[in-house]
Formats: sequence, C-alpha cells, structure tokens
Amino acid sequence: MDVRYVFMAIIGLFFLVVIVYPLSLVVVKSFSSEAGFTFENYVKIFSESANLKAFWNSIWVSSLSTLICVAVGTILAMLVVRTDIPGKSWLRMLLLLPYGIPPFIGAMAWAQLFGPVGYVSKLYMTLTGATSAPWNIYSAAGVVLVLAVYQFPVVFITVSGALGKIDTSLEEAARMSGAGPFRTLIDVTMPLITPAITASALLAFVGCISNFGIPALLGFRARFFVLTTKIYSALSIPDMPLATAMAVILAITSGIPLILERRLERGQSRYTVIAGKSVRPQTMSLGGWRIPVFIIVVLVSLFAGVVPLISMLLTSFLKYWGAPLNLANMTTSHYKYILDLPMASRAFRNSLFLAVSAATITMAVGALVSYMSVRAKIKGAKTLDFVGTIPYAVPCTMVAIAMILAWSRPPVMLYGTIWVILAAYLVRYMPFSIRTTNATLQQVHVSLEEAARVSGAGWTQTMRDIVMPLIKPGLIAGWILVFMPALRELTMSVLLWSQGAETIGVVIYNMQDAGYTQIAAALSTIVLLVILAGNAIVRKLSKGEISI
Amino acid sequence: MEERIKVSNLVKRFGTFTAVHDVSFTVHENEFFSLLGPSGCGKTTTLRCISGLEQPTEGEIHISGQLVTSPEKNVMVPPERRGIGMVFQNYAVWPHMTVEQNMSYPLRLAKRPKEEINAKMAYLLDLLELEGLERRFPSELSGGQQQRVALGRALSTDPRVMLLDEPLSNLDAKLREQMRFELKDIQRKTGISILYVTHDQVEAMAMSDRVAVMNSGKVVQEGAPHDIYETPKDKFVADFIGTMNFVPCSVTGKTEKGIDIRLRGGAEFGLDGSSVNKGDYILAIRPEDIILGTEQGVECEVDVRIFLGNVIEYRVRIGEDLLRVQTNSSMRFEPGDRTRAFIQNGLVFPK
Repeated sequence: MDVRYVFMAIIGLFFLVVIVYPLSLVVVKSFSSEAGFTFENYVKIFSESANLKAFWNSIWVSSLSTLICVAVGTILAMLVVRTDIPGKSWLRMLLLLPYGIPPFIGAMAWAQLFGPVGYVSKLYMTLTGATSAPWNIYSAAGVVLVLAVYQFPVVFITVSGALGKIDTSLEEAARMSGAGPFRTLIDVTMPLITPAITASALLAFVGCISNFGIPALLGFRARFFVLTTKIYSALSIPDMPLATAMAVILAITSGIPLILERRLERGQSRYTVIAGKSVRPQTMSLGGWRIPVFIIVVLVSLFAGVVPLISMLLTSFLKYWGAPLNLANMTTSHYKYILDLPMASRAFRNSLFLAVSAATITMAVGALVSYMSVRAKIKGAKTLDFVGTIPYAVPCTMVAIAMILAWSRPPVMLYGTIWVILAAYLVRYMPFSIRTTNATLQQVHVSLEEAARVSGAGWTQTMRDIVMPLIKPGLIAGWILVFMPALRELTMSVLLWSQGAETIGVVIYNMQDAGYTQIAAALSTIVLLVILAGNAIVRKLSKGEISI
Repeated sequence: MEERIKVSNLVKRFGTFTAVHDVSFTVHENEFFSLLGPSGCGKTTTLRCISGLEQPTEGEIHISGQLVTSPEKNVMVPPERRGIGMVFQNYAVWPHMTVEQNMSYPLRLAKRPKEEINAKMAYLLDLLELEGLERRFPSELSGGQQQRVALGRALSTDPRVMLLDEPLSNLDAKLREQMRFELKDIQRKTGISILYVTHDQVEAMAMSDRVAVMNSGKVVQEGAPHDIYETPKDKFVADFIGTMNFVPCSVTGKTEKGIDIRLRGGAEFGLDGSSVNKGDYILAIRPEDIILGTEQGVECEVDVRIFLGNVIEYRVRIGEDLLRVQTNSSMRFEPGDRTRAFIQNGLVFPK
C-alpha cells in the first residue's frame, strides 16, 4: 500500500480530533440546554439588552475602525507609492511597525500616553493649565482609535501592493486620452485598486471584531463591552451555553467578511491584463505641499509605532506610575523584580515551549498536507487542506471555548494544564502553516523535481537534494511566522490558563489589569525586543519578502 | 507638406546615462514614419518625450506647428493637452471598462455630444471589426481584439498624429502579419500621421513611408525603406536591416566599374559600384545577391541546405568563409556539391 495514504489517514484523524470535533462541540452546545435542542441561548443574546448591546458595539466599533483604517491606509499608501514624498522606504518601515506590535501591548502603550495621567495628557495639562485632559482613552472612542491603529497596516500593505502592481501604461493611456492627473486618479487608478481596498477593509473588519486585548484593556473600565469581552465575562460566571452561542454569532459575523474576501480574490482574474514592460511608476509631484505632507505623515507614523514603543520603554524604568519624568525617578528595579518572580520566568518558559511546539508541529503537518495537495495531487488531499484551513475563519475566542468543551472531561482531561493551550495553538495556527507551505511549494516548479528524477535520483534523494534545500528558507520563515504570534498570544491563553500554566501574554495582561503598570511595561519591553529580533531574522531569511 | 511632428536636437539623460542623444527628425502629414532599432536604442524614450509622458533634458518638440516641449524655454504641455493618440505595447486597455467605454473615454472627456459619440463608436466598431463586442470586458477579448480596442481609443478623437509603441509585439506571428495590413489600411483611410516604434525591421520595412534607424541613442540613418535596405550607411544598419553576410576581405585594386576583391581563401572577383582605396575591409553581401551554379564566379562547396518554403537557403563555403545564400531558382544542390558562386552585389565597410 502507498505509504502516502497512511500519512493522509493519520493526518485526517488528527484534524478530526483536534479541529473538527472541538469546533463542532461549540455549535452543538450553543443549541442545547438541559432539556435538549433549543434556540434559547440565541434568544437570550438578542433579547437581553446587555448582550444585544455588546453585539451592536462589536459591529459599530469594528465598522468605524475599519472606515478609519481604509481612509488613513489608502491615503498613506497613495502618498508613499505615488508621490514624490521624501524618505519613502523609511516611512514604509515606520508605518508597518504597528503590525509587529501585539495589539494588547499597543493598548497598554496608548493608555500610558493618553490615560488620565498619561504622558501626552500630562503634557497637555502642563501646556494649558487644565486639570484634566479633554479625552478619555478608556472609552468606546479609545477602543475604536487603538483598533484602527493596529489594523491600518493591513490596508496600507494591501493597497500599496496593488498600487505598485498597476501597469502604469493604463494610467498613461488615460493621460493620452485627455485626462489630467486628478481625472486619471478617479477614472483609472481608483477603480483598479478598489478590489484591494475592499479586500483589506474586510480583513481589517475581521481583525477588529475578533480582537480581545484592546476592548478588554480599554473597555472594561468604562463598562463598555463587545462580543469578545462579553464572552470572556460569560465564561467567568460561567455561563457556557451563552458563551458558546455568542462565540457562534462572533464566528458568523467574522466569517461572512472572510468569505466575501475570498470571493473577491477569485474574481480578481477579470482585472488581470497582459503585463507590459516595466516603466518607472508615475509619481505625482506634491509641489509646495511636499514638506508639510511629509511632516504630517511622519507624525502619524511615529504615533502609530515609535511613540508607543518609547512610552513602553520609559514606563518600564519609571519608579511609580504617574511619577514626573526625570532621571531621579528612573529605576531598573522592575526588571530585577521580574527576574525574581517565579511566575514570570515560568511564563517565559511556558510561552517558549508552546511557541516552539506549535510552530514545529503545525509546520510538519502543514508541509505534509501541502506536499500531498500541491505536488502529489493525491485525491482527498484537497479536503485535508480545506479542513486544516477552517480555523482561519474561527475567532480565537471560539477556539478557546472549543478546547474547554472538548478537553475538560474524561477521558481526556487537558483543561487546567499547559496542553490545552497547546491544543488551541495547534488549531489556530494550522491554517497559517498550510498557507505558507503551499505558497513555498508552489514556488518550486515541478520540473525541477522531474529533472532530478530524470537525472537518476530516487524520490527520497530528490526530496533531500532538490526539494528540501529549495523550500528550507520558506519553511523556516513559516516556522517563525507561527512562533512569533504564538509567543505573545493572549486571547486564547487568557481563557485557558491556570496556575502554573501561565503564558507571557497572560502575565502581562494580569499585571496591567491589577494595576502593576511598570511590571507589565517591563515584561512588554522584553517581548517587543524578542519580536524585533525575530522580525529581523525573518526578513533576512526571506530576503525582505516576509515580515511579521 | 505640412509638418506634423518635428523633433529637434532631442537629448534625454537618466542620471549619467544618455538614452537619447541629439535626435532630430520630422514626420509630415499623411506619413507613416518608423523609429527602428534594437531594444535600449532610445526609440521608446523618444516616443515618450513626444507624447509628453517623459520630459527630455534638452531639445524641442513641435506638434502640428505648436511648440509642446522645450526645457530651455520652460515649455512642457502635459500629455492630455497635446491632442495625440497613442497605442501602448501592452495595449493598456482598462480592465474595468467595456470595449465601448474604453474607446469612447477620450470623447466623453472632451464632452462631445452623445449623438456624435454614438456615431463615432459605430464607425470605429465597423472599421476595426469589433461589432457585437462593445459590451465585453477586455479580459473576454483576444489579444488582437484588445489591440484593436486600443487603436480605436487612440483614433476616437480624430487626432492628426498617432504614436504607436511596438503595438504588434505581443501578437502571434499570423496575427501580426494581418495587423500590418490593417494598420496601413487604417492610416490610408483616416489620413493620420503615424509615428511607429519597433525593433522588428520587417514590420518597419513593410509599413513605413520613411524609417529612422536608431542605435545607442542616435539616429544612424533616415530614409525610405528601399534606400536603407539597398545602401545601408554603416555596418550596424547593414546588419540590423535584413540578413547580411559579413566576411573580411582585401581590396586589391580599382577597375573601371568598381574594385577588385580577394577573400581570405584566395578567391578573387570584381565588385561593381564601389570605389575605395586598397586595403583590408569587411565585405557585406545579401544572401539573395549570391547566385549559385553560374559559369563564372568563385569556386564554392555546398555545406547545408534548408528548405524555407518560398525560398531555399544554402550555407556555402568559399575558401575559409561560410556564407548564407538564398535562392528561389529551380536548380537544386546537395551538401557536398562543388559549384560556382557569382556575387552580383556587395558593399565594403571599413574594418
């Protein structure tokens, strides 16, 4: 019998147990009560005003954030790609920085800047003499703003990519037809990048609605709930039926945009035309606006990335939160405290173990699935590929609930241990590894393999001498792409952690929640340094094509 | 004849690289003028300067008598106000607009009345054989159809000048030949002046009234296709236009009608129409100017025979040199045959 079918059977079983079974339990549970099948849990969501409100909050907060993301992201992309603004590559790097910062750490930084005794708030009070700042970061507005800051890079990346790929002769043809630069922008450029803008808007919306860290850190205090934070509360009561039903609602509201986005990507073929010779992209001269626009863009990008990082660093050295900023008030004691804190070192060990395990296992499984579906094209491999990528559409909150339902009763009692978090990570990151391995394998043309076979190499030898060396950089980059987010994961681990099985994200979150702002800041600073280092490695490995 | 495009002393530098070096030429009304040269010779840059998509470093460009580009005088009319049609190499038909929307776009921008636009569309759809496709999107069209849409768009406002940038290079061989006739036909019907950029000498020869051959940013030779083919000015043009045999030779003396030539292998013959001093030269001979199986001429041996359909091509050895010979005569030679070759025409270039 073909050994490949044995592999397929094993992976199929693994997917059934680890992905399909737990996730379907959530759906089943959401329709059940003690009496059996019921719609009662859903009725409870839409009839109880607090639940309904959380649902609507999720919708409008995410929509508004998305709108901001699209406006800011598109304008910035236009400026950076299509005008003569100076320092383009630096600006691009600055603007992409927030993409690498975990949103909950970002929320903490923004609270440090704009909170009641935040750096910017205090600066404002000193400058104006007011007794308080006219804004409140712990509010719906704060949630919207910070969500937008951490989602706009998605729009920026997609739109600037699309702008860079537009065949410039399409725009030149408009000029030759009698259209001025502005008309060309409206009639040709905008319609051509609309699919990219729409797709990125859908992705940004999904990113906003499934985010937990930002609404938790900035909304709880104002009693402002969205679906993710409401589910968190329901789980701590615990009201499992309500939590599952809300998780299903969340999965639907984030799933629909993802399906639309997929459709859009497939419909893109209508927009592909023969590529011409590459002419330098037309850049519009900003004229006298060049410097003022540059300054605004620099300010925006600094506030999106660098300023929060500096604020985090400052806070981690500050004696007590709210202390005046001067050298006398600086101390390294928080870092010493962390070193002596068993929970902190345990959390680092746990997160490291979880991230390494999750990355290794998902990449190994992903590579096998990809090889069978992309290369060997075995019947049924496409199904495996599909099942493995389902969790992409499932919010982290729902994955966590699935783990609780599936693994907290005999015969498999994983809940309360680190293993249940690992199970959650495997589910969540499987789609990412399958996608990267698919992309990597597709880059290695099948003829390279065939050439090796014709030259006399057997299958294993071809794998060792040709395929592996060619896909290795891609696999390593993919491994890090799972490792990095797993290392700083919050949403799933905050629902699944237990004494002794804390992750870094959980410890930071709990410290911040309990008011130990500087400890949380010191821990975050360490995490951010690790992320920056990881990013540098990935960039080097992928020659700048991938970054986190 | 009225001047439609006048390019004077055009220079375009990209940093330290000079893409166009002191180029001047004039395209008259009703004329099909080609810029011909290998890739990187500056022909596309010249065209883009005329279109206004590129700003030259020096020089002047007039279109229909109006000064449109002059860095010295600070004149730079933007492309949309030059009133010229342009067809891009990759057609550049807009993927989000239908055939009709693509072609009528310039008219709509010019705010022409609806009836006029409709009438023009009907005319162009008929001229370009695109009837029934007006509601299609470019992705639903073949390459040749997209090409005609691009042509229709460029023609829609009845410009007096049209620029074409290698418009046939993305088509397959059959379609390319057919489009050559169509383009020529359209030019005759519309009376438009065409500036055509191509690296394909056959294309340029077939369609143009006049050709300017360009090399490394300069115009090397300008003239009617026939003249350029017959009397290439230098070795580059001779090599670039048509097929040419190049062999080293020495001129041993002058005769009444021309010169005496000796090849490396010792073969000697006379060449009419040339008059150069004794010395070493490069002899250029067209394959069709060598006639095999004649009474007179130099000794040669047939090396390879290739059947090309309308002609037969031989490779023959004359002394130490291998030369290509093309003939449509019914006389057949086999590889290994020894015969005589008569060289009825040739040019000598300095080494």
